[in-house]
Formats: sequence, C-alpha cells, structure tokens
Amino acid sequence: MSVQTQLSASFRSDEECAEAIELLHRERIRDFRAFSPIMSEPIMEASRTAHEAPKSYVRFWVLFGGITGVLTAIAVTIGTSLEWNLNAGGRPIASIPPYIIIMFELMILFGGLSGVTGFFFHSKMPVFEPDPAYRTKFGADRFGLVVRCDDDQVNKLDSMLREVGAEEIVREAA
Amino acid sequence: MAAAIDTTNIEPTYLDVDRAVQQTLRPGGLKYWLWVLFCASMVALGLGFWTRQIYEGLGVTGYGQPNDWAVYITNFVFWVGIAHSGTLISAILYLFRVRWRTGVYRCAETMTVFAVATAGLFPIIHLGRPWYFYWLVPYPNERYLQPNFKSPLVWDLFAISTYATISTVFLLMGLIPDVANMRDISTGFRKWFYTIMSFGWQGTDKQWRNFSMVYLLLAGFATPLVLSVHSVVSWDFAVAQLPGWHSTIFAPYFVAGAIFSGCALVLTLLIPIRKMLHIENLVTIWHLDNLSKVVLFTSLIMTYSYATEGFVVWYTKDPVELVTFSQRFFGSQGYLAWMMIFCNCLAPLPLFAPRIRTNVVWLFIISIFVNIGMWLERFVLIAGSLATNTEPSQWRFYVPHLTEIAITIGSFGWFLMNFSLFAKFMPIVSMNELKEGITYLRQAVREVYPYRKAA
Repeated sequence: MSVQTQLSASFRSDEECAEAIELLHRERIRDFRAFSPIMSEPIMEASRTAHEAPKSYVRFWVLFGGITGVLTAIAVTIGTSLEWNLNAGGRPIASIPPYIIIMFELMILFGGLSGVTGFFFHSKMPVFEPDPAYRTKFGADRFGLVVRCDDDQVNKLDSMLREVGAEEIVREAA
Repeated sequence: MAAAIDTTNIEPTYLDVDRAVQQTLRPGGLKYWLWVLFCASMVALGLGFWTRQIYEGLGVTGYGQPNDWAVYITNFVFWVGIAHSGTLISAILYLFRVRWRTGVYRCAETMTVFAVATAGLFPIIHLGRPWYFYWLVPYPNERYLQPNFKSPLVWDLFAISTYATISTVFLLMGLIPDVANMRDISTGFRKWFYTIMSFGWQGTDKQWRNFSMVYLLLAGFATPLVLSVHSVVSWDFAVAQLPGWHSTIFAPYFVAGAIFSGCALVLTLLIPIRKMLHIENLVTIWHLDNLSKVVLFTSLIMTYSYATEGFVVWYTKDPVELVTFSQRFFGSQGYLAWMMIFCNCLAPLPLFAPRIRTNVVWLFIISIFVNIGMWLERFVLIAGSLATNTEPSQWRFYVPHLTEIAITIGSFGWFLMNFSLFAKFMPIVSMNELKEGITYLRQAVREVYPYRKAA
C-alpha cells in the first residue's frame, strides 16, 4: 500500500476553490474536503458533483417530520374530542375545519425540528474531535481545500492547485 | 470603546466584517451594565406587582365587566406583532434573496425571539390562577377532560408555541457559523461557551450543503408562520360575536400591523445599536432606508384597513357596530383612537421623502411614533370594543391601574434586558451572510460614504 500525503491548500476566493474541486473531479480524486467561511454556491455545487452526492437528505427528514406532525395533530384533536365527548348544540364532536389549524401548526413544528435533527445527523454534528486540517482562517477569510493523495501524486497536485490560485499549500503525512 | 473598523474604509473585506462584529462582543463597560441594571429594575418592578396580583387576585387591576380583556391582552398582541417582522426579514426576504436583509436580519430575529418570550408571559399573567396555565395543553387525566380544539384560544397556544420554537431554532441555526468564528478567536469562558453553541462547526462543504438545505426549509416553514400566527391571534377576536371584533378583515389587518410595528421596532433598536457598537459600516443607511420603505408601505396598508373598517360599519348599517365605531372615535377615550391615527397613518408619511429615510434622527422619531401608535391600536381595539358591547347598561371604559402599568413597564424591561445581554454575547449582525454579500455591502458603504463625509 502506497504512503499517503495530505495537502492543505488555501484560496482567496470561493471561485478559485471551486475550480480546484472541479480539477480534482477531473483527476478522479474524491478524498478531499473543502472549508468555507460563507455559504458558497460554487463550492457546494462543485463538491456535490465531485463526490457524486445527491442533494442533502435533510429534505426527507423535513418531509417525514411534517407528515408526522399532521398525523399527530389528527390523532390529538380527534382523539381528545372523542374522549371528552362534548355535544354543543348538535355540532359535530370532531369538526375538521378548526382542526386544520392544529394540523398546520404541528406540521411546521415537527417538520422544522425533524429537519434540524437531520442536519445534525448528516453533518455528523456535534463534532467532539475537530478536524486537525481545519485552520482558523477557514472560518474567517480564506477557503480551504484538504486533499489526500498518494505520495507519487503530490508534486503534480501541488502545481495544479497553485495554477488555479492556491496561495499556500501545506503538506502533512495523512 | 474604540471602533475596530475604519469608518472611512469604503471597501470592507471579510476580515473587516469579522473585526467589526467581533469588537461588538467585547465585555461591556459601566454604561452598558448600568443600562442592564436599569432594565432589570424595570423587570423587578413588574415582578413585584405581578406577585401582588397573584396574592390578592385580579381585583387589584382595572379589570371587571365588561372589560375582561384589556392591557394584558393588548401587550400580548403587541409583542406577538413585534415578533413578526423578524421572521419576515429573516425568512421571507431570505427566500426572495433580498440583499439588504443581511445587515439587519440577525437583530430582527433576536427581537422576534425575545418578543415572543415576552408575549408568551401575558396570557399567563392574565390568568387569575396562573399556575393552571397548562390546562390548555391536552394531557391524559383521570377526568377525561380535554381542551376544546374548536376554540381560538387553543389554536393560539399551538400557534404561539410553534412560532416561538421555530423562531428560536431559526435564530440558533443561523448563529452556528458565526459562533464558530467567535470560538476560533476567543479565550476562557467565552471560548467554552462558543464551542458548545457552535456544535463543532468547521464550515466543511458537507456541513454547508446540509446547512443550506435546512436553512432554506426552515425559512420556507417560517414564511407561512408569519401569516398564520397573527391570523390566529386575530381570530381570538374575530371569531367572537362582539361588535368591533367580528370582522373578516382582521387576519390580513393584523398581519400588516404586525409587520408595520415590528419593522418600526427594528429601526428603534438598530439606530442606537449601530452607533453604540460602531457598526455603521455594516448596518448602513442603505439598510435603514429599505427598512423604512417597508414601514411606509405597511403604514399605507394600515390606513387602508382603518378606512375599510369604517366603510364596512357604515355600509352594513348595523346599529350596534355603528355605536361601537363612533364611540371608538368620539367616546370618552376617543383621543386614543385619534392618536393612533396620527401615529400610524400620518407620522410615517414623511418617509416618502428620501431625505427623511436617510436621516437616522427622523427615522428614530418616526419609529417611536409607530410603536406608540400600534400599542394604542391594540388597546383601542380590545378594551374599546369591550367597553361598548351590545348591553348599554354594562358600558364602562377601562382605565388601567398601577398593577397593569407596572407589569407593562416590566415587560419592556424584560425585552430590553434580554436583547442587551444577547447583543454582548452573540453576534448581533450576521458575519457569514454579510461576507457572502460583500459586493452589496461595499456598494452600500460607497453610496453612504459621501453622505457621511459631508456630515
């Protein structure tokens, strides 16, 4: 098994970083992660394409939570109405129109909370052991790209990253 | 405290944004803590009077037939309304990709959370036996007693608690990247605090991908909440058969009023804060100008709503509605309704002039008028309508007693204290979103620069 090296490159702009990710994609290198101080569409899109990752699964959590919320509201409103069987002027014991409000509210409540749970789950947060490749500047004003590659690829990759705008590249044993 | 950001810098960078926000989180000085102490003393005043009310009963207030709802419910509706603009700015404007929201949305969101926290107290304060507030929640019990889900009061409980939860989650989610930034530069207790609050965020591509999805969906969920929550609050009144309340225009009327009052309070808070925290380069005149356009627009909707209300009363020719409406303006408390008209319909009109919209002093004064006007509107609507019901022998205009006044002052103290403490521990302006829209910020600063130089 060949020895692996980790290259940690920093960029001034997200476009340069996204370009570097596209380059890695063309070179079929998938073992990388990008750091960004902002929600950068170019980086997210390039990384998603390179990793051949689908859109975030968080949306399914939200859908599941929303449906659960509606079902919970149906169960609570109709269930409690039947339990406290109050006949007011012959009106229906379980009347759907006013219950739609509760269904709507619980759909949003459950959907929102479930989405946040999904976000933490898929982002593997909370993180108890921070990524050693993370630098403070990646949270401030620089975009980072950390690539793991075989030793024989290091020089080639280094020059390619510099070509697309990497201002600093740190080599570490992976 | 010296400004960390160069106010003559017309090309702010990512680091300038970071520094400007980070310096707002330096430990507060004597003036700051005196202000917090002042707010805390207002809270103590309110708490003291509430304790007395719990001990002696609602008889210590001005409540009594027919005024069963008055200042407490006025405060409830007022604070819920205040909360709405935060969600409008943070969620709806996010979905529409409105660029000026980046400078003001964190402040508005924070205001939302603390306004809801304040509003939520009032239905409890309003109860004679507040320790039974949980009776509105459905729970298994040996008597098979359950709340009536056909009642707007139960809808309200669900709407407000959902709103409070989603607004808080939305605020905390948006804070994560900024708190992580603060974690990286902090030491001691703050480092520990920010480490916990950032959940180990490092801004990886995967984290951002999931973050963008959940933030978008939360914004999508919060958007209908803006419309639904105040509609539900309006139905507390509109569903009742009381003249002055039983109206179909209440839902849109309340929502517009909520956005109107909320945006005005954002202005009231932002104008001194940007000066005190030296963030004029982040929250520029451009931001305030746009915010004041929203205030002006919603003021026009309010004027239209007042006119519609009057027209409907005149057109239907319902004698009881006619008397209630005329008493509102020409009764013994008619001056309150005229003050409301002045504050909500006339005072914001100067905002048509760009010169006024870019003048912080005028903006501040107008925003104060709007805040007063919107509180009065709720009071006139709630207490005024109850005072003149269908039974003239019961007519009595409500006058608040010292207890309600003290508790109202306490609620303002509670809101301001929480807001002030938050502003010293959490970034009150979003660093990551300002950096994301740095081009627009630069443009805004460039446009404001000649104005500031002249000033």
